[in-house]
Amino acid sequence: MSILEEISENLQKGRAKVVKELVQNAVDSGVDPETVLKEGLLPGMSVIGERFKNNEVYVPEVLVAARAMNMGAQVLKPYLERAGIKAAGKICLGTVQGDLHDIGKNLVKMMMEGKGLEVVDLGTDVSPDTFIRTAIDQNCQIIACSALLTTTMGVMEEVVNKAVEAGIRDRVKIMIGGAPVDEAFCRKIGADCYTPDAASAAEAAAGFCASMGA
Amino acid sequence: MTNRERAMNILHFRPADRMPAVHFGYWQELLDEWAAQGKIPADLAEGNFDGSAKEAELDRLIGWDFNWYRTYGSSNHLAPGFETKVIETLPDGTRRVQNADGIIERIKPGITSIPSEDDYLLKDREAFEKLYKPRMQYMPGRVDLEFYSRFNEIRPYDVPVGLHLGSVMGNIRNITTVTGMSYLLYSEDEELFADIVDTYAEMQYKCAEAILQTGAKFDFAHYWEDICFKNGPLMSPAVFDELCAKHYKKRNDLCRRYGIDVISLDCDGVIGKLLPTWVENGVNTMFPIEVGVWGDQFEPARMKFGKEVLGVGGMDKTALREDRAAVDREIERMRRLASLGGFIPCPDHRLMPGTKFELVQYYAEKIKEIRP
Ligand code: B12
Repeated sequence: MSILEEISENLQKGRAKVVKELVQNAVDSGVDPETVLKEGLLPGMSVIGERFKNNEVYVPEVLVAARAMNMGAQVLKPYLERAGIKAAGKICLGTVQGDLHDIGKNLVKMMMEGKGLEVVDLGTDVSPDTFIRTAIDQNCQIIACSALLTTTMGVMEEVVNKAVEAGIRDRVKIMIGGAPVDEAFCRKIGADCYTPDAASAAEAAAGFCASMGA
Repeated sequence: MTNRERAMNILHFRPADRMPAVHFGYWQELLDEWAAQGKIPADLAEGNFDGSAKEAELDRLIGWDFNWYRTYGSSNHLAPGFETKVIETLPDGTRRVQNADGIIERIKPGITSIPSEDDYLLKDREAFEKLYKPRMQYMPGRVDLEFYSRFNEIRPYDVPVGLHLGSVMGNIRNITTVTGMSYLLYSEDEELFADIVDTYAEMQYKCAEAILQTGAKFDFAHYWEDICFKNGPLMSPAVFDELCAKHYKKRNDLCRRYGIDVISLDCDGVIGKLLPTWVENGVNTMFPIEVGVWGDQFEPARMKFGKEVLGVGGMDKTALREDRAAVDREIERMRRLASLGGFIPCPDHRLMPGTKFELVQYYAEKIKEIRP
C-alpha cells in the first residue's frame, strides 16, 4: 500500500494520530503536499461521505474521520499556503438565527472541506444580514444555511430575500438543509439547492463552484 | 369503560367501545400563543407539563382523554450533579457555563431557549472513574420509596399510568453530547464507552427494581431515547445493539415479572434500523412515530414484526396547523391504522407553534368516533 492509500485508509478508520504522522512522513519524504491532500486526505473523506449517504456508516464514524482529516490538514496548511494553493471554492455556512443545533452543520462543513472547498463557518444563530455581509465581504460563491427547527426554517426565506435586495442573488447560490427542510420548501422559498445529507451537500457545492468557475 | 381500559384493551387486541383521544403535550411557545390569542386562560399556559393539574384542565377544554406521557420514575441523573458555574464571559456577553451534567454550554445574551453545547468533561477513563462513575451509582435518594409505597392509593385509575425506566443511550448522549459520544465510541480505550453504558444502566435497573418491589402497580413501562434523526439512527445499529440489547432485556424482563407487558419507547426521528434491538429485547410499543416531519411510518414495523409491535402516535401533527380537510385526511388514515389493532393514534410529537386550537378540538372529537 502506498503512503497515500495508507493515509486514506487510516482517515476512514478515524485514526487521527496515525493520519497526522503519515501526512508528516509523506511531506518529509518529498511527496508534494497538494498530492497528499488530493490523493490521500480528500479521497478518504469522499469514501466516508459516500458510505454515510448510503447508511453504511453513521454520525460517529464521520465525526472521527473528520477529526483525523483536520489533524492531517493542519500539518499541510503551512505548506499549501506557501505554495499558494487555493481552495476550489468558498462557502459561508451557518445555522440560522434562533437555532443552536450545529452537528448537522458541522458535518456539512467537514464534507465540504473534504471536497477541497473553503468554508467560512459562521456558527449558530446567524442572522440573514450576517450571511449576506459575509458572502459579499469574503467573495463566497455559496451561502449554505442549516435549520433544525420548524420555527427557524422561515429565516432561510429571509436570507433569499435579503440576497435579492443586496443585488447578489445572481452570483451567489443558496443551499439549504437540516431536519425539517425538504425539496418542496426549497422551491417554495426560491433557494437553489436542498440535499438530505452532508455528503450530497458537499457534492452539490463542489458542482456549483466548478460551474461558477471558482 | 374508562380511558385506561380502552387504551389497555386496544394494546392487547381486545375490544373497546371507542378510541381514546390521546396526546403528547405541547411546546411552551404554543401555550403562550394560545393564551395570547385568548383561546385558553393565561394561567393555563404556565406550569402546564405532562401529568400536571393544569394539563388536565386544558385536556377538558380541548376534549383530550389523556397524555401518554403520564409516567413516574426515579431520579436518574448524576448525583450529586456538577456544580453549575460560569467558566468565562466572552467579549460579546456570551457566558460559558458548566452545567450539572458536566457540559460546558454557551449562553448567548438574548436567547431564551436551551443553550448550545460547547464542551464536555467526560472525555477519558480518568474523568469517568473519578468524576462520573461515583455519580452514576444507585443510592436510596434516587427512589422515593415512601411515595411508591402509597402509590396504588393515589394513582389515577381512569387513565393509563407508566413506570419510567429512564433510557439506555439517551441520557448518555445528554451527558457526553453527540460529538463527545462519537469520540468516546472510538476512544483508544476500547472498553470505556461500554463501561459507561453498563454503569449507568445498572443504576437505572436498580431504580426500577426498587420501585417495583414496593408493590406499586403500573399499566405500562416507558423509555426515552431520542437517538435518531432525519436519516436514521445517530449511531450504527450494530454498535447500538452490542451496547444496549442486554440492558433492555434485563429491564424489560424485570417489568414482565411484575406483570407489565406494554413497554413503550419514545424516540424521535426515523427509528426503523433500531427496531430489531428494541423488539427482540422486549420493547413492544413505538412512540411517537414521527410521520409529519420525517415520514416515519407504523405499518412497515407491523408488517415486519407482526402483532409483537404496538404503536402510540403516528398522527401527522402538522395537519393541525392547516385546516379541517387536512385533519379529516389524517383521521381517515388513523382509522385504517387503528383497524390493524394494537395501535392508538396520537399526534406524532408535542404540538408546536402555529397549531390551531379549534383544529385540535376538532381532531379530539373526531378521533373518538373511531371504533377500534
Ligand atoms: C441533538 C439535538 C439537540 C441538541 C443540539 C446539540 C448541538 N450541538 O447541535 C440540544 C440538546 C442542544 C437540542 C436543543 C433543542 N432542540 Co433539539 N434535537 C437534537 C436531535 C436529537 C438530533 C439533531 C442532530 O444533531 N442530528 C444529527 C445531524 C447529523 O442531523 P441534521 O442536523 O439533520 O443534519 C443532516 C442533514 O439534515 C443535512 N444538513 C444539515 N444542515 C444542512 C445544511 C445544508 C445547507 C444542507 C444542504 C444539508 C444540511 O446534513 C446532515 C448530515 O447528513 C434532534 C432530533 C431529530 N430527530 O433531528 C432534536 C430536534 C431537532 N430538537 C428539537 C427541539 C424542539 C429542540 C429545542 C427547542 C428543545 C427545547 N425544549 O429547548 C432546543 C432548541 C435550541 C435552539 N434554539 O436551537 C426538535 C425540533 C422539532 C421541530 N419540528 O422543530 C427535534 C426534531 C426533536 C423533536 N422531535 O422534537 N437539540
